[in-house]
Amino acid sequence: MRAAALMLALALAACDSGPKVAFADASVTLPDDPVDLPEGPGRDAVIENCTACHSPSTMLQQPKVPREKWESIVGKMKTLYKAPVDEAAVPAIVDYMVAVQARPEASR
Amino acid sequence: MNALRLTRRGLIAGAGATALAAPALAKLSGMIDLGLPGGPGLRPTTPAFPGKSEMIVQRIRPPLLEAPMEAFAKGTITPNDRMFVRWNWPFPTEIKAAEHRVAVGGAVKQAVSLSLDEIAAAGEHVSIVAVNQCAGNGRGLSEPRVTGTQWGNGAMGCAKWTGVRLRDVLAKAGVMGGATRVRFAGLDVPLTEGAPQFIKSLPLDMAMRDDVLVAWAMNDEPLPILHGFPLRIVVPGWFSTYWVKMLSTIEVLTGEDESHYMAETYRWPKMHVTPESKDFPTAPITAMPPRSFITSHADGDTVALGRPLTLEGIAMGGDAALERIDLVGKGWAIPCDLGPDEHGPYAFRRWQVTLPQVSGDLEGIGVRAHVNGAVQPDTLVWNPSGYARNVIERITLRAQ
Repeated sequence: MRAAALMLALALAACDSGPKVAFADASVTLPDDPVDLPEGPGRDAVIENCTACHSPSTMLQQPKVPREKWESIVGKMKTLYKAPVDEAAVPAIVDYMVAVQARPEASR
Repeated sequence: MNALRLTRRGLIAGAGATALAAPALAKLSGMIDLGLPGGPGLRPTTPAFPGKSEMIVQRIRPPLLEAPMEAFAKGTITPNDRMFVRWNWPFPTEIKAAEHRVAVGGAVKQAVSLSLDEIAAAGEHVSIVAVNQCAGNGRGLSEPRVTGTQWGNGAMGCAKWTGVRLRDVLAKAGVMGGATRVRFAGLDVPLTEGAPQFIKSLPLDMAMRDDVLVAWAMNDEPLPILHGFPLRIVVPGWFSTYWVKMLSTIEVLTGEDESHYMAETYRWPKMHVTPESKDFPTAPITAMPPRSFITSHADGDTVALGRPLTLEGIAMGGDAALERIDLVGKGWAIPCDLGPDEHGPYAFRRWQVTLPQVSGDLEGIGVRAHVNGAVQPDTLVWNPSGYARNVIERITLRAQ
């Protein structure tokens, strides 16, 4: 990216007649989530059904909401976003999120 | 892209595979407390994302990175390494410039597929400095709280964007009579089959505006991948939900846009609502209201009793120029000095004010911007998605 930045800067600076832009290829490597979900009943269900799209840190940062809200969130993932969530696992997922949110912030 | 799609089997296998494929975020260098009412407000910070210095991690995959408020303490341009990052869906991490194309179709005289060089040759090169702000910036500070990305106020930044006018790109295909909107799609796509793609549209008059760009540069550098390489839409004055990244498709529409991210979300109430309100009419979230921040001091800081105190910060007019900034307390307001208009109406400007003597604690002070004769509100205009926050942000300083 740095080389690309230099090329563009040169291209922009050198525009006497009609500016030219040089487009270079780009690639990055993104880091993965270092946070692990805390132990508790339903953790496996969350890992199997949720973590492909949601990193654990994001789940643990949500404001505390009632059980019904977690049920509707999981429902939205299934109906709107077509997430292949196992219907039988939904109660365990909801139980886990409710239980984790009931803990003090420092121990999540 | 189909290889990326999730199946139940792929989903379970993928949970383990991603951990192996990507380097773990080796060290979270710190924690920051965003002070979200009722918590949890603690967030890790890291410099581990490509091209980024220390950023607040709201989500790893796809990344949601927030700038700490210290990023706004000096100047009016946000450096690229401090610009917030927001993606709705996963995106490619490698793009070959020579292979990238932008398809322009829909209600056009002749559909075309343009290379990057053809885009760059489509018209005059234009630079504009504009604030890029997430519609949900400050959502985490909503009271009552609402779900969604729990941003503090750092999902914003001001940069110089360079590209060609969208209307010049549209002219390569020729917009037909009866066109109503122009819709954009990028290379970011859902993992699951049938989930809505992140596509957004502008009304035709906005799309044809003089300062709406197809941009390839951000602060004179190529757009970083995290900000939408190789091209993104820039809509000065409007929330960044319209600034579609990794632009790959431009589609001219002849009717309303019924797609999910226009018709069902990124909308807010047309009337006053409470958490109990149901079935109220909504409108798409579009233009940004004014905002202003104290950046020289944070809530809870100590200041010298009996001494003069200089406060400073940044402000933005949103989709119109700033007129004035006031420092406000409980029942009083003092005009501030507005810094020079360096970059035009859509950019940050700095402000400053000096109090001759601190005579005690400064409880709940804040700044408010005036735009078009109106001021930032004293109380939050609450809405269920926490969009377009522009309540006066208040802090308390302790005198010692």
